[in-house]
Amino acid sequence: MPAACGRRPSSSFSFHRRISLLGALLTFLAVPVLHAQEQPDIPKPVPVIIGGAGFITSFDGGQPDLGPLIAPVLLVPIGDRWLIESRTTFEADMSQEPGSSAFHGQVLKSIDYLQLDFIANPYVTVTVGRFLTPFGIFNERLYPIWIRNLQTDPLILPIGTGPSQASTGAMVRGGFPATSKFNINYAVYFSALSTVTLSNVTPLDSDRLVGGRAGIFIPNARLEIGGSFEHLLQDERSNSFGFHGGWQPPALPLEFRGEYQRSARGSGYWIEPAYRLSQVPFWQYAMRRTQLVARMQQYFVGEIPSDSLPPVNTRQFEFGVNYYFRDGLRAVSSYGRQFSELGNKNVWTVGLTYRFAIPLGPGGEN
Amino acid sequence: MRFRRSMLACLSVLILGAVLCAAGQEQAKVVDSKVSSAGTGTASSSTLGSSKPVQAAAYSRFQGEQRYRANCGRCHMAPHKFPPRMMATIERHMRVRATITNEDMKFIVRYMTE
Repeated sequence: MPAACGRRPSSSFSFHRRISLLGALLTFLAVPVLHAQEQPDIPKPVPVIIGGAGFITSFDGGQPDLGPLIAPVLLVPIGDRWLIESRTTFEADMSQEPGSSAFHGQVLKSIDYLQLDFIANPYVTVTVGRFLTPFGIFNERLYPIWIRNLQTDPLILPIGTGPSQASTGAMVRGGFPATSKFNINYAVYFSALSTVTLSNVTPLDSDRLVGGRAGIFIPNARLEIGGSFEHLLQDERSNSFGFHGGWQPPALPLEFRGEYQRSARGSGYWIEPAYRLSQVPFWQYAMRRTQLVARMQQYFVGEIPSDSLPPVNTRQFEFGVNYYFRDGLRAVSSYGRQFSELGNKNVWTVGLTYRFAIPLGPGGEN
Repeated sequence: MRFRRSMLACLSVLILGAVLCAAGQEQAKVVDSKVSSAGTGTASSSTLGSSKPVQAAAYSRFQGEQRYRANCGRCHMAPHKFPPRMMATIERHMRVRATITNEDMKFIVRYMTE
């Protein structure tokens, strides 16, 4: 999604915007008045820093690239219902310059999100600030380096999330049991145009858009399916939509995930099965820590060109092996082959990822 | 015409918010009583199948583990337990991030802090 150009919105949009904002404000004000809920079972929370760190070496078309990265997430709970959360990423992208064997690069800093959450009631959480765009599931839930099974991004990731993968505005979201068999989850958001740039930090840009995501989760089957919709309120005012799914069969150490997305800028899908070798009857100590992963993906160019998406139709297959040393620490590796009109190439990655959690206060007592 | 549409839209949002709040309050009471009674072993037989404290605690632990594996495993390997106050913060974060239900969250926190 190209950077927003700041075109003045039309009068019809102003009307809808006023309605949306007024509605959101009224709901926000009405909810805490109507609902007063105590949570006696939950221990008193303490500020925490969690996050991931890693060092990933990639060979993209034979070009080596070193990528140390640390992404701390600061969580500051306030009272029973409020939470401030922010993720900052410090990442170096070091590559070789022509004629030199040394690696050069600079540290890139970005504030991925900085949001204030208000848990209004079991059904509604209101979020304001800069938040990860909830389009599909990869951007919000699978993006962190210690979570993702393969270290490369899906080709279609920028379709609904844009280049900065974040929105600036307000969001209402929640999850609740619809019946005893399945839960419903949803997110509805509005993002304002932002061209803010802090010195030495990646621009905090966002597009003006509205969107939503809804899904159902069946806990017994461990099956999740859902869809996303987004309407751009600037430039070509196009629509984007997508579907996502995930399934972890309870009887097997197997998981499937996938997404399909479509917009005027392009469309495509990715499917990712992963299998933990814990049922292999030999070398069990090592096998139960080993995970095999594959990802198949395809991208089709749309009517409108985009800087953050491939310029031509592209297919990519990847296979990976991950080894979990212990909870939070693992070695990752993968091989992929990309096919496109610009030429086919290999993509290798190898590295280490680590998840950390540090309490900023006494964490052991209630 | 615009004024009428504005009023209708606001009214719809208000009614929807009120319904959600009212329903949420009722649901919160049910969940609170279910989780609390399961943990302390005072649940009714209709909820747990037995009023024995041992069975109630086992039910709570079973539910907590099931929900922990189902919800956390949607995205990542289920982590080891954290200290209680850390767990409360992380669970609040995950409740927002992964839209975990209130009932699941309470069972998971209880299981993870036992």
